Order: sequence, then C-alpha cells, then structure tokens
Amino acid sequence: MSALGGAAAGGEGINPTGTVVGIVILLVSIAATYALGFSIIPLIGIIIGGALIGFGVHFVPVGGAPAAMGQAPGIATGVAMLAAGAGLAGLFGGAWAYEATGDFAVAIAGGAVGGGLMMAITCMMVNATYVFAMGIPAASGKVDKDPITGDTFPAYKSQGTEGHGLPFISFFGGVIGGLIAGLGGTLIYIELLEIYHVGLPAIMQADAAAIEPLAISMAGILAIGFFLVNAVLAAYNITGTIEGPHDPKFKRVPRAVIGCAVASAFCGFISMLIVLNTGM
Amino acid sequence: MEEIVLGIGITALAGALATVAGAAEDTESDIGSQGDPNSQVQLAPQMGYIHRIFNKAISGEPPAYGAWCVIGAGVAWALMQINYNPALAIILGAVIAVFVQGIYCTSGYLGRTASLAKFQQPVYIDIIKSLTPVTMAHSFVAIFCTVAMCYLMATALHHPFALPLLGLVWGIALGAAGSATGNPFYGKERQYQNQKFGAGVPISASGNIVRYAEAGQRSSLDNGWFTTKFAGPASGICFGLIVFLELWRTVLFEKMMSGWGAIIMGIVLILIFTFIDRWIEVWGRKTYGPYGTTEEASS
Amino acid sequence: MTVKMEASEGGMPHNTLMIYGIVVAVVGTYLTYLNVVTGIAVFSFFGGIAAIAALWWGSDTIKHLCSYGLGTGVPSAGMVAFGSGAIAMIAGTKFGLASPIVTLILAAILGAVIGYIANSIINMNIPVMVTSLMEMAVVGAMTMLGFAAMCTGTFMFSGLVVGGMTLSMEPSAGAAGGAQTFLVTVLPEFAGSLIGGAALAVIFFLGAMALQHPFNACLGPNESQDRTLMLAIEVGFLSMFVVAVMSYAFLDLVSATVGVAISLIGWFYSYKQYIALSKRDAYDWLDAKPIREVGGDQ
Repeated sequence: MSALGGAAAGGEGINPTGTVVGIVILLVSIAATYALGFSIIPLIGIIIGGALIGFGVHFVPVGGAPAAMGQAPGIATGVAMLAAGAGLAGLFGGAWAYEATGDFAVAIAGGAVGGGLMMAITCMMVNATYVFAMGIPAASGKVDKDPITGDTFPAYKSQGTEGHGLPFISFFGGVIGGLIAGLGGTLIYIELLEIYHVGLPAIMQADAAAIEPLAISMAGILAIGFFLVNAVLAAYNITGTIEGPHDPKFKRVPRAVIGCAVASAFCGFISMLIVLNTGM
Repeated sequence: MEEIVLGIGITALAGALATVAGAAEDTESDIGSQGDPNSQVQLAPQMGYIHRIFNKAISGEPPAYGAWCVIGAGVAWALMQINYNPALAIILGAVIAVFVQGIYCTSGYLGRTASLAKFQQPVYIDIIKSLTPVTMAHSFVAIFCTVAMCYLMATALHHPFALPLLGLVWGIALGAAGSATGNPFYGKERQYQNQKFGAGVPISASGNIVRYAEAGQRSSLDNGWFTTKFAGPASGICFGLIVFLELWRTVLFEKMMSGWGAIIMGIVLILIFTFIDRWIEVWGRKTYGPYGTTEEASS
Repeated sequence: MTVKMEASEGGMPHNTLMIYGIVVAVVGTYLTYLNVVTGIAVFSFFGGIAAIAALWWGSDTIKHLCSYGLGTGVPSAGMVAFGSGAIAMIAGTKFGLASPIVTLILAAILGAVIGYIANSIINMNIPVMVTSLMEMAVVGAMTMLGFAAMCTGTFMFSGLVVGGMTLSMEPSAGAAGGAQTFLVTVLPEFAGSLIGGAALAVIFFLGAMALQHPFNACLGPNESQDRTLMLAIEVGFLSMFVVAVMSYAFLDLVSATVGVAISLIGWFYSYKQYIALSKRDAYDWLDAKPIREVGGDQ
C-alpha cells in the first residue's frame, strides 16, 4: 500500500535451506540447554509460546495508514504493536491469575481470555466508529463473501477504495489473534518465571520468597522482549497489512511459525544463561 | 467480603481513570497528528498541498504511549523508593514524561518538515509554539491517569508486576485502543471532511487534506475541537471498558471454581461483545444499504 | 508512512560511525567501573555517554536497514533491537568485569540469528538484514547496559538485582543492641533494584524510542545525515536525563545530580544544534505566516 510495502517482500513459498538451518539452530539450542544441565521442558514451552505469538499475529486485522482513511479494511494502527497491546493485556491477566491461583492451566487460559477480551472490545469500538460516526458499512476487499456470515461485500465497498471497517470475519480473526497472542505471551512468561523461580535463589543464595519480586520482574521484562521480537518477525512476514484469516497473505503463516519458534528457542537459551552459575 | 467491596471500588476507579486517559490520549494524538493519519499530513506537501497542520512524527501511538507511561511510572517508582509521597511521585513522574513527550513532538515536527524542503513546505514555527503545550497538557492527563491506575492495581489489587512494568503494559494497551478507535475518525472524517460522507476516501484523493477552516486556515487545534466530539470519548470508552472488565472479571470471579470463574466470565464477555459487534455490522448494512450502481467499486 | 524512504548519501561512512559507536560504548561502560575503584559514584554518568554513542550509531544503522523498505514502520526495528538486546543484556551482566564485552558478543550472536531468520526463513531477502539486525541488537544491549550502569552505578548482575550502591535503606537496626547488626546486609531488597522493580522496562522503552526516533522523524527527501545524527544525540541526552532522575533511587545525591546536570547541559546544546540544522535544511522558516500555495487544485 505505502511505498514501504511491497518491493522487498519475498515470495509466498518457504525457503528450504533457511528452514533447515533454522531447525538446526532450534535443535542446537535445545541440545545446548540440555548440555548445560537445565531442564528442557521450559524451553519447549517457550518455543511453543513464540510460535503461538507468530501464529496469532496473523489473525489480527490491521489496515495501517489506509485504514485510517477508510481506504482499506482493518484496524488503523501497526500490526506488531496492536498485537503487543492485546498480548500484553493478556499477560497482565495471566500473570495475575498465576499469582492468585498458581494453576498453570488457569493462568494461560486467563492470559488468552485477557488478550481476546481486549481485542473484542477494540474491534467492536472500531466498527462502532465506522458505522455510527462515519456512516460506513464494513466491507472486505480481499473476498467477496464473508466465510462465516455469508454477507456479500462488493456492493458495500465505496468507490475507489479497497473496502473498509471490520467485517465479521476480521472481527473473529482479531479475537482469535488476541486469544492466541495472549496465550503465547503468558506461556513464555510462566516458563521464564519457573526457570527464575528455581534458578535465582540457587545462584544468589537467597530466600525464595525474598527473590520472588525479582523473578517476576525479570520474567515480565523478558516476556515483553520475547513478545516484541516474535511480533515484529511476524509483522515482517505480513509486510504491513492483513485483513484476517481470509486474507491470501495468511498462507504465509508457516514461515512465521517456524521463524518465531527458532527465534524463541535461541532467545530462550540465552535467557537461561542468566541462571547459569558462573561463579560471579 | 470487605476485600471484594474494596476491590470493586478500586476497579470502578481504575475504569474511570482509564476512560479519562483514553479520551485525553486520542485528543492529544489528533491535535498532534500522530500515528497513521499523519501519513496524509506527510503526503499533502508532496501532492502540492502546503498546510499548517502539526506533523508529529513520533512512532505509532502504542509504542509512544508505552514509552510515556513507562517513563511516568518508572520515575514515580524511583521517587517512591526514596520515600516520596505516592501522589507527588506520580505527578512528578507524569511531569517528566510530559517533558520528554513535548521534546519528541517538537523534534518530530521539525525533522519531518525540514526533510520536506523539496516540496516547498516551510516550517511554521508558531505551530510548535502554540500547539506543543496543548498536546503536552492532554498527554499529562493521559499519563497521570494511566500511572495512577497502575499504582492502584499494584498496591490495592496486589498485581504481581511492579509499577513500571504495569505502566508499560497499560501504556501500550492505551495507545492500541486509542489509535484503533480514534484514527479513522480523525483520518477520514476530519482530514478529508471535503470528501463524501458515508464512504471511504478514494485512493485518488490521497493527500488532498482540508487545509482551510471556516475562516482562515485550519490549525491542528481545530482538529482537536472536532475529534473530542466523537473519537476522544469513544477511545475513552474503549480503554475504560478494557481496563474495567479485565479487573472486574478477575476481582469478582477469581475465587469461583478455583480460578475458572474469571475465565468463564471473560468468555461470556467476549461472546457479548461479538454479539454487539455483529448487531452493529448488520445495522450498518441495513440502514445504509449498498452503494449505488454508479459508484460500483472500480478495483 | 507513505513518504518515500531515501537515505541520504555522503557524510560519515557507516563503518567509521560503527567503530566510534562500539568503542565509545564499551569504554564508556567500563569507565563506570571507576565508581568501584574510587569508591564514589560520580562516574556513573559515563554509562549514559556510552548509551548515547550506541544510539548515535544505531540511528544510522536503522537508516540503512529501513531504506530497503521493511513493509512495516521504522519503529518496529527499534522494538526488535531492544527486545533482543534486553535478553542479551541481562544474560551478559552475569559475567562480572567482562560483562560489557560478553554482552556485546551475546547480542551480536542473537542479532545475527534473528537477522538470519528474518532474511532466510521469513524470506525478506534484504542484503543488509543480517548485519543490520546484528548491529541493532548490539545497540540495544549496549544502550541498556550503559543506561543501567548509569542508573545504578554498576554494570554487574548483583548490582542490578540488589538495590543500588546505597544499601542503607534498612532502618531495622534501630534497636539499642550492638553496632554490628548494621553490617548485616545479607538481606537485600530485591524489589527495590533496577531489575527487581522492573525499572529496566523504562530503560528498555526509552532506548527503543530513542533508537527509532531520529530516522523516523527526519525521513523524507531532504534527510541529511548530520541532522539525523544530531537528533540521535539530542534524544540520547533526553533519555539520559530520565535515567538520571531515576538514579536518585540508587545513587547518592551528588552523583545523581551530576548525572542530571550533564544530561541537561548536553541535551540543551544538542537541541539548539538540532534546531539550527533544521533551520538550515528547511525550505523556509516562518512565524505566524499564512499557507503559501504552490499548486494543487485550489
């Protein structure tokens, strides 16, 4: 759409060499973690969390600058940061639920619901703005018919635009994206917290209860770092704008899932070095 | 029981603060012309339309507000570490964050406008002098409310995250909610007020933003005047709902079914909003109907 | 943003900039070690200088990367730099006196891996992707390390997670028992430390904004390198000011005030310079003048 989009974007396919090298990096990270004497279960959790973030970002309907003019469907903001907004709102809920209940399943479900709720409210308000304030009905530019509701779009698309607003499929994508991104972010946070919860008292020779705030803050900051890396990688894969799960760009999702998994594996390995006993 | 009553009170207060913060955030970003609609302000001189609109080229609103709120929260946290009164610490934190925000605003305007010299867009220095204080005032409200809300979450509701981390999380969410809700209204309704109502801006019209007011020339202050009538309050409702419902479902239903109560409530809320959204969509389609055949989409 | 990205040619070559950036960043971070050598914390501000050097270099890197067109905005590059930088920096501080060097190496490896992923798995096929993301991860990590060193007076893990240089925040020794109870500092307050209180998140986002802002703000057909780099220094000093204010929680009054004074002086000077350069590059510099029409369908 803008001068930024397009040109540099690679093809739709998967680059076999790159993918194989990536999987090797992933396996080496797991092996190195094992060799240093850490449990690999948390790392697996981090990898799954990263892949989920990469997957979830693709659902979020983001139109970028053209959406702000009603020229293209989607939410008028940047893809990585909107996903971050939803994912971190999920992280807020998940971290709170984990603190209160200590139950893994409740916490990640809480994270997912937090992200989904944030996106549901935001998407609803976007449609309210388009319909009630601007008098513009929702219409998709990429498909003629909503796969869920069966609404037709061509007649509802105003002249000279690629559609506008959030058709139901995009709303649905937004909520699913928020759920998955919130789930992935919370999963990474909990796995990191587990690592530090056990590791930090051991290397610092301190009481586990006293070190709890440190473990939470460190896991929180790193979870945000992981989230941003994965969300930006997914945004690079999308190259700017996407309408939701019905968009042809959605077919690129395997690349992002693999890329985010590899990035999370390596980042997860580095973040475990923090609790490595270096004697200092 | 008393704890839950206090929790509900805090939840309501946090929701109210979030509503004010959302409204102020969106108005600020519209007066300053931040985020995606700013691409048109940037584009206009290239199309030959010299204008007097603020061109606040900071990143999109989510990272920007993440940064301002985390600065406010972090400075407040640091001052509380040396035993400042929390109210004073939050105010001082917000003041420093607003100072940083104001400097970023001016450097964004100067940088982008100076880089447009090729298209003969001059730097109108009076825009900076008259509008930067206005955006700073609005963002002070937004930052102060967000940090105060985060302080309530950390101390009264015992969220495990430290204050700066909460500031970051909710700052990004604030920017995301405000930009999502408010940007189309500013971008389409105000910048392209000369285009047809009830239709998107045709791509061919890009860059032809409204530059003149009822009398004289449009300044960004006029944009704030306009967007406070819908986009600001709508963003406020959006962010207020997010914060209020997120806290509400946790405070009230956390204890039920060993934690699953809050999740079931969250799913119910998502379904309710899905239903409302579908109703809005259908209402729009029914009420406005399809565009006329002469206006058939050309793409 | 719809404006065409055109990186200006000429000016200082990127490699020269990179060498200055790395050297000043590493040396500046090490100079904060004078705090330990001399026993006073006034040398902490060198960490801020190190961070500014890293940002200065990073804003040029971002220009080279973004001139290829990433499909998403300039800010996302700052986010990925600091997301990976944060991971490398916290892990890097574990290595005592070697921390700045280890941080640099860890960040470079991490950045290279992420760059490879973006380039080969995500198929972006941008020639400078790997080196740019490598540089940017280093910039992110060194900026965070520099600012963290400035805030707490040390770049070592124990200093970042356990309070600061002033650990006299435990007033519990008020009993009339013996003076020796005051020496027991084995009960550190983790929640009051830079990482434990999540104040590192402030540095994280201060740096991420400061890294992407110079090029994002100055992009356009008439972008010029000296102006962009001056803006990098300006936002660097501005970020340093915030860090200096936060350092009141960790350092003594004099050291923190030295940091505030230096950052404000540096900021004021670079801001004036930046305005002068903008005035030089602008088409015209008008005060309260009407729109001058040049075309359009008026």
